[in-house]
Amino acid sequence: MKNSLRSRKKVSEEIDLDMVPIMNMFLVLIPFLLMSASFFHLRAINTSVPVLAQGSSLQEEKSDIKLTVIVELEEKGIHLSAISDEVDSSVIDSFEEQVAVTDSDEYPMDALSTSLRRIKAQYPASDTLIIIPESNVIYDTIIRTMDVARSSDESELFPNVVLSGKVG
Amino acid sequence: MALGRSRRNRTQFIPPKLQITSMMDMFTIILIFLLFSFSNDIQAIKIDKDIQLPKSSAQTDYSDTLRLVVSQDKLWLGDEIVDRIEDGKIIGLSQINVQDSNLYQKLCTYREKTLHGGKGEAKSNQILFLCDRRLSFRTINNVIKTASMAGFPNFQFGVLKQ
Repeated sequence: MKNSLRSRKKVSEEIDLDMVPIMNMFLVLIPFLLMSASFFHLRAINTSVPVLAQGSSLQEEKSDIKLTVIVELEEKGIHLSAISDEVDSSVIDSFEEQVAVTDSDEYPMDALSTSLRRIKAQYPASDTLIIIPESNVIYDTIIRTMDVARSSDESELFPNVVLSGKVG
Repeated sequence: MALGRSRRNRTQFIPPKLQITSMMDMFTIILIFLLFSFSNDIQAIKIDKDIQLPKSSAQTDYSDTLRLVVSQDKLWLGDEIVDRIEDGKIIGLSQINVQDSNLYQKLCTYREKTLHGGKGEAKSNQILFLCDRRLSFRTINNVIKTASMAGFPNFQFGVLKQ
């Protein structure tokens, strides 16, 4: 009787897992991973500078007409214009726009986005935008303009962004 | 006799048991998080702590290409300091004789090496450009112009995820 009670006690005894070696391993792994981990995720914006290209003599259909949009970042604001060999100059002139900086010296990115969407809606094949900043415009403003130029409200606008200095 | 009773009355010392289960749980979560963030990165890039990269909504991953880093006082090509920058002006980079500049010559050397090394044109003519967001276009333009003249017209602007 006594023997059977003792054996039952033995079975019900809890087995303690020795976690200390695992803890030691974790303590070594975590500082190592923390040292090599990066908390800033780097992304990239593809861009290019203007290069000499040979002109194409192919006639394109009207739906494929492409405009090249020019965004000039000036000290006082943004000057928007467009160029194209296939579109009438009066139409091209209608896209010309000057948007002044706000009172807090912020560039009017919302107004720029609206204008770019309007051009894209009329000429959906257009995909190139040239940014021409003045020499005192900071890099952060250029990047923000690139963001606005590439996409707006999850729709793609002008994926080919070219950065150029002012000629002359 | 009295001594024997007091010994019997003294409570036996039991070593305390550490409850490490919750700590283990925490460590496991941290470990999984770190392992996941580790696997997402293509290649970790070390840049100077003084450089403030701009934030952008861009989603494209950067390529493993030649790095051109512009801080407020230095210009790096890869891990090597090429020139110093003072008040936004790159010392040793003249607008008239771009070919004589250190940056131009180093870029040309790199280009020839990669072309002969068989890495291919597509990879060799692109530069990962990491620049401080406070710098003016005057400084950036000089670097970009020199790079494009040296045969690198395509750039990837390195930005921080917004």
